[in-house]
Amino acid sequence: MIRYEEATKRYGGGPPAVDRLTLEVPAGQTCVLVGPSGGGKTTALKMVNRLVEPTSGRVLIDGRDVASTDPVTLRRGIGYVIQQVGLFPHLDVAANVATVPRLLGWDRRRIDARVDELLDLVGLEPATYRHRKPDELSGGQRQRVGVARALAADPPILLMDEPFGAVDPVTRARLQDEFLRLQRTLRRTVVLVTHDIDEALRLGDRLAVLATGGRLEQYGTPADVLARPATPFVADFVGAGRTLRRLDLLSARDALSPCAPGADAGGPVLPPTASLSDAMAALLTSDAPAVRVVEAGLPLGVVSLESIRAALRRDAAAATDEPSGDRVS
Amino acid sequence: MDHRPELWSETASHARLVALALLVAVPPAVALGVAAARRPRLAALALGAAGVIFTIPSLALYALLVAPLGLGTAPAVAALALYSVLPVLRNTVVGLTEVPADAIEAARGMGMTETQALWRVRLPLALPVVVGGVRVAAVTAVGVASVAALVAAGGLGDSIFAGLRTNDSTEVLAATFLIAALALAVDGSLALLERGLRRGP
Repeated sequence: MIRYEEATKRYGGGPPAVDRLTLEVPAGQTCVLVGPSGGGKTTALKMVNRLVEPTSGRVLIDGRDVASTDPVTLRRGIGYVIQQVGLFPHLDVAANVATVPRLLGWDRRRIDARVDELLDLVGLEPATYRHRKPDELSGGQRQRVGVARALAADPPILLMDEPFGAVDPVTRARLQDEFLRLQRTLRRTVVLVTHDIDEALRLGDRLAVLATGGRLEQYGTPADVLARPATPFVADFVGAGRTLRRLDLLSARDALSPCAPGADAGGPVLPPTASLSDAMAALLTSDAPAVRVVEAGLPLGVVSLESIRAALRRDAAAATDEPSGDRVS
Repeated sequence: MDHRPELWSETASHARLVALALLVAVPPAVALGVAAARRPRLAALALGAAGVIFTIPSLALYALLVAPLGLGTAPAVAALALYSVLPVLRNTVVGLTEVPADAIEAARGMGMTETQALWRVRLPLALPVVVGGVRVAAVTAVGVASVAALVAAGGLGDSIFAGLRTNDSTEVLAATFLIAALALAVDGSLALLERGLRRGP
């Protein structure tokens, strides 16, 4: 668990880069720091591994102030991924991934086995890529090596600063999917920085929206932030498309209404796991008043415009009741 | 050419002077460069001093060094070493400054100490540029070592001055040719090393 307590950073006598940030990231969850540039996202991230020391306030990991831990020891226990990846260009993929295990003095056999395991994990065939140099890799492959390197010593915490920022949109989407897949099994405590609200909504269990000047505008689940933006800044940052984005986060199951008797002839069919945006698309492109939801051949009900409206209303109400961000997607 | 045996041994002692000078100069120059790379004031001071030394004419520098060191190998090696400091120091500072910032940040962020980051990341990445500096120093030293004959340090300068005294232009030309060949050989082999390092081990 990571906890910021009134953490503030000022450079010189200027305005704060991070202003009295207080938030808690529960173990095993992904917290996305999102906001426009100048919001102090990276500064806040670097407070966790002491690349930045707060001017006042503190950051705790599992209840312990990071300032009381030797920075070198602290950092070896925290995975770190940066946008430019920062692979060491003079070392091959295996040596890059082995960086922290080597610093920790693992023996060679253990390191070799771990490197292969990690390359498999991030989808790079070890036999092919082990001895490649960073400049022989594509941008996406470099990012994968960066993630493998950060995970090498199995750190419970992972810090990621715009980890998918330097690749093309297609590769980015694929890397995001892989991140979600990895995180489902690994369950690390992740703090991830991005300026991209879509990426934040997609990857985060919780979002911390930071405004210029390092002020925390809202901290909550993606559904929370979309359904109930806490301030005009958040509403503006999330954008006019926020209702449509909420449809991505809800499934057909959330908007089921009973089948009208005898009204099930024709019309589009979707599984209950389909998102409401898929259902909406199906409604818009067919003449049918409702989409039939079918699981394993059994009709579960229908989704209509009315039931989608009702689901959005229920979701907004639920988001209000929940203590902010107890939902794990 | 009846001078041939002498020419070979003079070439060897010429190369020896250059090698000794580099051996003396490179480690402290690199160390100074490492210290100066993150201290702009020290860098300006050190590069300024090395630059001033570099501008002293070789004849004058040899003469200045004879007083404390006497005649022979010592003043020659000392003069060549002093000249070698500037290119090696400058390239070390430049090489270290040019190491990509993201690699240094990654090194720190993963928990390397400053010393580990220096040996495992910064120096290996700066090495090709440092070798480039050694190359310039070595080629300069091969030329300047020709004058070392005046302080009785041997080398191919002996044949040049002997040839001038006896009006034997063949001997002067032969020695000059060997100096040029030595310089080219040194330059070529260090250039190969530099290129190899750039490509990586």
